[in-house]
Amino acid sequence: MRLGLALKLLWRDWRSGELTLLLVSLLIAVGTVTTITLFVDRLQQALLAESATFLAADRVISSNQPIDPQILTEARTRGLGQAETLTFLSMVFSSERAQFAAVKAVSDTYPLRGELITSDKPFEFGEIVTSGPPPGEIWLESRLLPSLDVQPGDVLDLGVTSFVVSKALIKEPDKGGGFSNTGPRVLMNLSDVPLTEVVQPGSRLTYRYLFSGEKQALDDFQAWVEPRLDENVRMFGVKEGTEGIGNALDRAERFLLLGGLLGVILAGVAIALSAQRYSLRHYDHVAILKTLGATPNGIDGLFITIFVLLGLIGTLLGSGVGYMAQIGISAALQPFIPVELPAPGMRPIWLGLTTGFVCLLSFALPPLLKLRSTEPIRVIRRDIEVGTGSNRLAQLIGVVGTIGLMWWYSEDIELTLMIFSGGLVALLVLSGLAFILLKSGRVLGMQAGSVWRLALAGMQRRGQENTMQILVFGLAIMLLLILFLVRTSLIEDWQAQIPVDAPNHFAMNISPEDVEPIRNLLVENDIRSQPLYPMISGRISKVNGEVAKEREERETQTDDQEERGPRATSNRNLTYAGEIPDDNLITSGEWWAADYVGPALVSLEKDLAARNGLKVGDALEFTIQGRQLDAKVSSIRSVAWDNMQPNFYIIFSPAALEDYPSTFMTSFHLERENKIFLNGLLREFPTMTVIEVDAIIEQIKTIITQVTMAIELVLGLILISGALVLLASIQASMDERFKQHAILRTLGAGRRLVMGSLVIEFCVLGLFAGVLAAIGAEITVYGLEEQIFELDYEPNPMLWLLGPVIGAVLIGLIGTIATLKVVRTPPTIVLRGLN
Amino acid sequence: MIKTIDLGKTVQTSEGQLTILKGIDIEIKKSEAVAIVGASGSGKTTLLSLIAGLDTPSQGQIFLADQELTAMDEEQRAKARGEFVGFVFQAFQLLDSLTAIENVMLPAELKGDPEAESKAKELLVRVGLDHRMHHYPRQLSGGEQQRVALARAFASSAKILFADEPTGNLDTKTGATIIDLLFELNREFGTTLVLVTHDLRLAERCDRSILIDSGVITAEPIQAKASALIES
Repeated sequence: MRLGLALKLLWRDWRSGELTLLLVSLLIAVGTVTTITLFVDRLQQALLAESATFLAADRVISSNQPIDPQILTEARTRGLGQAETLTFLSMVFSSERAQFAAVKAVSDTYPLRGELITSDKPFEFGEIVTSGPPPGEIWLESRLLPSLDVQPGDVLDLGVTSFVVSKALIKEPDKGGGFSNTGPRVLMNLSDVPLTEVVQPGSRLTYRYLFSGEKQALDDFQAWVEPRLDENVRMFGVKEGTEGIGNALDRAERFLLLGGLLGVILAGVAIALSAQRYSLRHYDHVAILKTLGATPNGIDGLFITIFVLLGLIGTLLGSGVGYMAQIGISAALQPFIPVELPAPGMRPIWLGLTTGFVCLLSFALPPLLKLRSTEPIRVIRRDIEVGTGSNRLAQLIGVVGTIGLMWWYSEDIELTLMIFSGGLVALLVLSGLAFILLKSGRVLGMQAGSVWRLALAGMQRRGQENTMQILVFGLAIMLLLILFLVRTSLIEDWQAQIPVDAPNHFAMNISPEDVEPIRNLLVENDIRSQPLYPMISGRISKVNGEVAKEREERETQTDDQEERGPRATSNRNLTYAGEIPDDNLITSGEWWAADYVGPALVSLEKDLAARNGLKVGDALEFTIQGRQLDAKVSSIRSVAWDNMQPNFYIIFSPAALEDYPSTFMTSFHLERENKIFLNGLLREFPTMTVIEVDAIIEQIKTIITQVTMAIELVLGLILISGALVLLASIQASMDERFKQHAILRTLGAGRRLVMGSLVIEFCVLGLFAGVLAAIGAEITVYGLEEQIFELDYEPNPMLWLLGPVIGAVLIGLIGTIATLKVVRTPPTIVLRGLN
Repeated sequence: MIKTIDLGKTVQTSEGQLTILKGIDIEIKKSEAVAIVGASGSGKTTLLSLIAGLDTPSQGQIFLADQELTAMDEEQRAKARGEFVGFVFQAFQLLDSLTAIENVMLPAELKGDPEAESKAKELLVRVGLDHRMHHYPRQLSGGEQQRVALARAFASSAKILFADEPTGNLDTKTGATIIDLLFELNREFGTTLVLVTHDLRLAERCDRSILIDSGVITAEPIQAKASALIES
């Protein structure tokens, strides 16, 4: 139909206030989505940038040898930031003492991300600097200063050259947990390395090439680089580089996405409700238009044009509002967010615009398309029901729109389908339940006083609408509960992952004769430690008589099921133990008795077993220090890799490896102020190596705090949009309520009675919705935690109290406030309007 | 202008099939004014909605301006309504979000007539509402609203005007004024008028009356019989 007419009708509808609610819903929907996506986008960027400081870069190539200079040239041409580090172990000498140290030589551009903290006094926070020491100077980690008995300004020898110790190094960004970072740190300038002459052919060196830049540029560069790297050289970003952080970030991202998704659904529901109301109010209009000669196709065309126009206005305004709101929120929250937020990108705005439009079309179109089937006879007989001809098509549009939007938004079809199908099943079951609840409410109501009877009778008379309303309320509360529960268990899980006294130091290379003295020393100093585990290097050479390498090649060719995971044929650290280590769980088979004596048994980690198709009962042959050892798989275990304790893929039964020479390892917890203990420990047992992971644990904790904060913010935003949905839903039932209460009041019902029945009606609706929400949330949370977040599901008894209470209070309150107008409007005005 | 052959309408109710109209054969000539009269529930309004193409019959045929309505789908019926038919309803059926003039403009706008506004103005002047053009329906009295509805009915240059109890919601005096106006306009525009009413004085002003009783046309109505039927 002609645009001009559509514009006129749009303007006339707007002028008469018919469109206000719809436009407001649309504004809120687009605004919320834009706000959330923009904010989440900025927060994600910030978190990623913050975590990039763990690498001191966005991407790193790590290698034992210098890489092809062509790669560096290429990075330069692509405009990427670059830095280099070289790490090696060496002795440093003061005039009195010597100490084994992990030397890191850095180029002038290091670090690309994050910062260094130095100080003039050891163990004290000093100043933040953005580059390493200049040539001729070195910086020492705090505890090296007392152990070498030097002060800043003194001179140390490294190789054949002397350096001035100019600062104490308090913090470096990329002091990750890698095993090469053993020993206390000495930081020097890369250009000084040749002068020391410590780097000789055969030295154990780690070259790290750091890159920084835009994500797209980095992705392109990585795609270009990877085929050019040797097999044992890796390029990685923060997620692959640091396991613990990657995990936390992944889950946080998923949560934020989930939050956004739920925001989209809530916004959609708000739009659908307003569109429904718009349509309801327009049935009579359409009937009149039809008597005046408007055809069904013409009606479709007219209203679709109106809605597209409305969509344009709504989404543009909405994204503007969202942008402003997000700026406001960021500004207000800046003091509480421990990271600097980067400028928002364009994608979220685009996302918000499209979301608004798709929402409008898929949620508003269904009720809209029903307009076409309005019978013109309605002008004579108002009781004629509006046909349901296009219902199926309409629902299909809604379903496709919702799924499409969720998919596009999350880029995760699994998550999308899970939430969608969960929602659908919940909806079906819940609508049945809602109906039964309403019925039973009526039966109860018959025995109650007049206010109650009025309220419950009213609810039941409008049974279908109320079922719908309970569903909408229930859905909104359910989404909020889901988000709240997942948030709670995520945060609990993270906190449990790194308990306050988690081990933060690993001790390795402990010789057998030092095991007892070290154990005693730890006990004497009241230091909580894990058992000392023997560590013997070895690999699986045969599986059930077949050469392991051949078997592996055959398996990778024939099945493609588990491509990821550790390979069986690599050299691994083996150990033996009588008791199963903490946080290990047997998933199949059985752990042996602590005093087991007999043929060698092994317990395998579950990913290793899955990747290589190994199961309980398989006969394995190991090659250890040139000798063969047969062992039978007796159990498969899950391992909590991120618990900062010695963890092993392969554990032998006691005594199986006793004949093999081994070193031992353990982990223990040491407070920052007790770090001086390390000096004594290392002096007494000079051959052992201590890996300090307290820095990385500190960093993981920071990240988790930030992510938790982000998640709580998103929860807050969703809460607001949930409340808006409730309002929209109550608005949608306003006409009906006005009419009912006007009639009641002309019949002599007092304000108190009308008010009372309204309060009761909303509270009961809320209560029912809360019960349904609790059921739905429990089921969905089970699925989400098990499948998406990989958390261990536990029932939530609180939910069953929380749901109904929240429902009754929230909806009772919002409903009553929103309908105060009903009671305040004189009945004559309402009744005149009804004519 | 209007012809029905063996027209019937039945609906399904919870107590089984209910026959509302049965075996209706009528013929109305061009420019004729015909009243359909009968008691409440006799089926007169159903008959009007069928011949106006607002509803579909269960059996029989309807011809409107030489076109068979019963062979059309809703799309075509809507076009036919737009082209030939104007309506006046008991409940006025104005769009309350539109002003008086916008309501009157609507039929012409739907046809894409660029002169919609000037025609609407003319008609509103004609029904004596030139001072109320920009008022909303809720700001108008019942009589004024019905005058707007009359203006709208003639705005589409309809050949046939259907009026369903046009004075049902008005007091006697206002009703009489509206009826005078209706017949005046009807004469001026040479429209065929089909009027549903239970007001016998109103029926008398038409060229003839069709009396419906329990869904069938009783023998060519005698005024006395009609009044007896209606009053009983």
